[in-house]
Parts: sequence; C-alpha cells; structure tokens
Amino acid sequence: MPDQVRHDGKQNNQILSSVFSLVKGKRAEEVLVQTITYIVLVPMVYLAFLIFVVGFICRVVKIWRAPKQPTTLQIFPEKRPKWLWALHDSFLLPTVRRHNPVLWFFLMIFHVALLLLIIGHLELFKGFTFFQFWEHEIFLGKGFVGLTLIIALLYLLFRRFASPTRELSIPEDYYLLILIFLTVLFGSQMDWARRWYGYAEMSPGDYQTYLTSLLFFRPELPPAVYQSGHSFMLVLHVFFANLFIMFFPFSKIMHSFFTIPMNKLRRG
Amino acid sequence: MDTQTREDLLKLFQSKLNQAMRLYLETCSRCGTCTTACHVYASTGQVKHIAAYRHEIVRRIYKKYFKDRWNPAAALGEPKALTEMALEELYEAAYSCTGCRRCMVYCPHGIDTQMLMSIAKFLLVGAGTEPEILSMLADSSIEKGKSFDLFKEGFLTAIKNLEAQVVEKWKGEAGQTPIPIDQEGADLLYVALAGAHSIIPAAAIFNAAKENWTLSFFEAVNFGAFVGDPTRTKLILDRIINEALRLKVKEVCICECGTAFRVMKQMSGKQPFKVSSITEVHARYLREGRIKLDKNKFKDPVTYHDPCQIARNGGVIEEPRFILQHLTNDFREMIDDVRYNWCCGGGGGLVALGEDTLDFRMKSAKVKVEQVQKTGARILATACENCHTQLSNLNDHYQMGMNVQFLSSMIAEALVS
Repeated sequence: MPDQVRHDGKQNNQILSSVFSLVKGKRAEEVLVQTITYIVLVPMVYLAFLIFVVGFICRVVKIWRAPKQPTTLQIFPEKRPKWLWALHDSFLLPTVRRHNPVLWFFLMIFHVALLLLIIGHLELFKGFTFFQFWEHEIFLGKGFVGLTLIIALLYLLFRRFASPTRELSIPEDYYLLILIFLTVLFGSQMDWARRWYGYAEMSPGDYQTYLTSLLFFRPELPPAVYQSGHSFMLVLHVFFANLFIMFFPFSKIMHSFFTIPMNKLRRG
Repeated sequence: MDTQTREDLLKLFQSKLNQAMRLYLETCSRCGTCTTACHVYASTGQVKHIAAYRHEIVRRIYKKYFKDRWNPAAALGEPKALTEMALEELYEAAYSCTGCRRCMVYCPHGIDTQMLMSIAKFLLVGAGTEPEILSMLADSSIEKGKSFDLFKEGFLTAIKNLEAQVVEKWKGEAGQTPIPIDQEGADLLYVALAGAHSIIPAAAIFNAAKENWTLSFFEAVNFGAFVGDPTRTKLILDRIINEALRLKVKEVCICECGTAFRVMKQMSGKQPFKVSSITEVHARYLREGRIKLDKNKFKDPVTYHDPCQIARNGGVIEEPRFILQHLTNDFREMIDDVRYNWCCGGGGGLVALGEDTLDFRMKSAKVKVEQVQKTGARILATACENCHTQLSNLNDHYQMGMNVQFLSSMIAEALVS
C-alpha cells in the first residue's frame, strides 16, 4: 500500500523512511534516486578528493625519496636556458609535432580545452574571480570547448584501435579515455542544454552554490541541482569525475606532474 | 624459477630504482610517438621493437612487484610475473636495443629506453642468462686490473713492436719514445683499445702535436657497461681512474670508442683531470695550429657517422665537423641533424657478440644504409670502434662500395709536417 507511506506524515525524515520504502513502489524509487544523488554529490566527492590527496602525496614522496640519478641523462646538443627548453618541451610537445602532426593537433586541442574547462570549474567557487580580469561568462567558448574535447577524445580513443598503437596500448589507456569521455560528455550536455537548447533550469549560479558549499564543508544542494529534469546529468558527470579523480594519482595521468622534471633530465 | 632466485632478482631490480628510473617507469602514456624512432622497427616493421613496447616488458614486472595489488593502474596494466619466460622476453628486448637513445629524442616525456633496458640487462646478469662472451670479457678486464704485473711485460713488448711501425711511417713526428708508457707527470693519458689501429695513428698525431702524453696500460672499452652490470662497470672504470691519479695527468683522452667515452666522461665523478674524446683533442690541435693537414689527401666525398654515445649522448658534435673541414673540400652531412642520426645498429654490445648477432645487425640497420647512401659520399668516417665494425659489416653485406674509415686514421694519413 504505497499511499500509507505518503499519508503517515513523516516525509521529512527521508533517509530513515527510505529504508522502509525501498520495496514500496513509485515513492520508494524517488527516494532511492534522491539517496543516490546525495551520495554521489556529497560524500563521494569528499572521498574522491581524500583518495586523490593521499594517493598523490604517497606517489610523489615515493619517487622523491628514491636516490638521485648519479649521472647526467642529457641529450645533446644542448640549448640554454635548460629549464626554459624543458618547459617548452613539456607544454608545446615539439617532438610530437615533428613526428606525428595529426596526433599533435588533437593532443594540443585536447589539453587546451581541458585547461579551459578546469578554469571554468575553478570559477564555480564563489569568490574565485582571478580569471575575470578579462570579463567573461563562466565556462568559456559557448559550449564548443566541451565539443572540441569530445572530438579530440574520440580521436585519441579510436587511434588506439589501429596498429601499431593497438599493440602498445594496455587496458589502463582505454579505461582512462572512456572515463574522461563520459565525464566530459555529461558535463558538456548540461552546458549545451543551457546554451544551445535554452533549457536553463540549472544555472552556473546553482552549481556555484553547490560546489562552494562543499568547499566550506556545509554541503547544500539547491533544488535545481537536486530535482530538475537534468539533475541526472549532473549526477553522472560528478560520478564519473569522482571515479577519474580517484584513479588519477595511481595512473599515467600523473604525467601532468612528472613530465616537466623528466624533460629537465633530458635537457640536462 | 624458485622463490629464492626471484627474490634475489627483485633485489637487483630494486637497486636500480632511483628517482629518474621511477619516473621513467611510471610515466609512459603509450602515445606511440616513439614508433618510428627505433632503427630496428624502421628497418623490420616489427612492433616488438617500438620503444614503448620494450618499456612495457620491464614495466609489467615493475607493476607486479613494486605496486600494491589493489592499485587500479597496476591491475589494469597487465602486470607480469618474473619467470623464465619473462627473462627470455627481457633478453630479446635488451639485446635488440643498442641504447642509442634516439627514441628519447622523440618521447614527449623524455623517457630513456637505455635506462629501462639496463634493468633488463641487470636481471639477466643476476639470473646468469646474459651473453656469456660479454661477461667473460668484462671479467678478464677486471682481472687485468687486479693482477696487473702479470700482464705488464707482455704489454710492453707488444708496444715496442708497434713503435717500429710508428717510426717507419711517421719518421718526422716520432721522438725518442714514439709510444711513452707509464710516464708520471705527463699531461695527457691516452686510453686506447687493444689493437694497433687504435694506437699507431693516435701516437703519430700526439707526437706531431708535440703532446706530453702517455699510453694507458688498460683498454678503454667497458664490457661491464655492455652487459649492464653496474659493479663491474665501476671496477673496469676505476682501473683507468687510478692510473690517471697515479700518473698525475691533467687530461684523460679516450680513444674512438663510444661507450668508453661516455662511461668515463659521465661516470668518473669529480676528478683532478678532465676527460676528453680523442676527437676533441684532435680538433684542439688543429685549432691551436699544432698539427696541419693536407686537404687533398682524400679526394672522394666524405660523410661522417656520429656515434650515438659520443654525439647525441656525449655532446661531441662540432669537433668532428671542424676536423673534416680541414680534411676535405667535399663533406656531406647526413640528413637529419645529429639528434636524429640513425644508430649504426652495433651498439649495446651487439658488435662484441660478433657472428651471433650479425644477421640481426644487418637486417636492423637497413635505414642506416639508406641514410648513408643518400649522401652520395664514398668515404664513411666515424669515431667509434663498434660503429666502424658495424659499418664495415654493412658495407660488405649491402655492397655499398664505401671506404669506411676511422677519423683518427684519416687525420694521421693527412698529417703534414
């Protein structure tokens, strides 16, 4: 009898009642969805960042505590200043451009788009206005940044299906690409819904309220985030992002931090 | 493989894990930019010779034993147990890699394949499955350092015989002692190879330049480095360092041998002497006007093969070109620039393994042959023993019709008094 639950007047105590109402039809489903939404949007985010921070520190400390390489690993001829060339190698990927220009093109748009999206997310923290020295809407590029990233990701994924990159690839490579793809796909859909289809139920203001509240350990879910028709996109976006953040410190994605010191080794 | 053996091997693996090695093991994104970098892959098209593929063979063992089991990246990285079969794979990867580090130039992260292969080689040494010849040669070098007096007499007699040849050909230049040995207070200690071709032309040039030099008792080549055993590499190196310190020389000059030069230059640490390659020394003599060369001695067009360990990995790049300007009017540079020079295919101990690797060396260096032929040169000069042997083998095998020369021999031939 689902109606009994609805009329017993204890709706506010949702978490408790959800346990009882799991088996009781429509209402129970709603509660279940809300519970999952809450878990993904709040505790799982904290867990992901905890794992990220601990994992990151462990990995870096392990490498840092290892003995130093006693001899030079430099490649000649050398160019000075060495640190500047190491940065040049790390950020502009000159060797990839020379030997695989198509890959270089997609790698560059991939990384630049990723950077723009990271800036967009940082601006979802209220008061983070550093990049507003040049006034712009939150999330640059009117939705095209996400689209660019998705195209680049598809290229990076499908090139792994062709020999000889296929033989070089290991499961980690595919999992990471798919994980980023899913994260970006659902994230971009929110952007596209708002900008391209005029479906503006969720606004950057709502995301700001949510994300800023997480930062100050006073989790708050605005109704738009929690209950709107598109909230499933946010939930899926955050869910895959959480998985990615948890995976990050253990995976090859750490190249984002290791590439500069390695290029410095090569430059001497 | 029994548990004890595996544990011992993993200890050897652990001993190789310094900061740089850990970074190299943890960072590859398998983007495949290195695909076309390896001369073996470029010549044969076999995927197992792509640098990233070689790395993974070592990396999988690393993931199995040096990463936690719950680590998702390790689990998804196809970790592999260290077994007899894994050792065979390691052997194939390590001894088809010449350690030329051309792929390191390609890699956006700058991963050093030679470093990763050094783990493979060290494990093979630990398991006793390394190439026997290399190990024996390394041991006999060390033995020579230990029981030096036993070898001394024979060595001195052999050198006396060589002196006659120096005097015969370069009468003007030879002084009273054409090949000085064991001269305390000499300015320069010349470390040669066991072979007249490495000593006679060099002696002629030193004497022509009126260098206050002395010949080392020991041969320069370091088989410890070829076989990938850090302890033996150090022991072989120390013989020369100790001799240099005993004779109080200001400079140690390494003959035309890539590995010997790089090991001495980069591994000898802070010493009261400086380390030079013989090519650097010859360029200096020319610059200071201490020797003069006849530019018309060699009439055919000349090209120069940069030995990987001397040029890309050792930094001696301008000097051979400066020398060649004085040797010929028709010097032809290979394409591309020196960072991208193809390896001759003989490094990493492959030439020292002789006939065993000949077939592989010939097949894997096809791109080198094409690169040399494109220059249209008739004389192929180089400054490394291994390169010289390998290039001569290629010359025969592919019937290139080149004249393969040591740069130092060319200088000696063209000396003008």
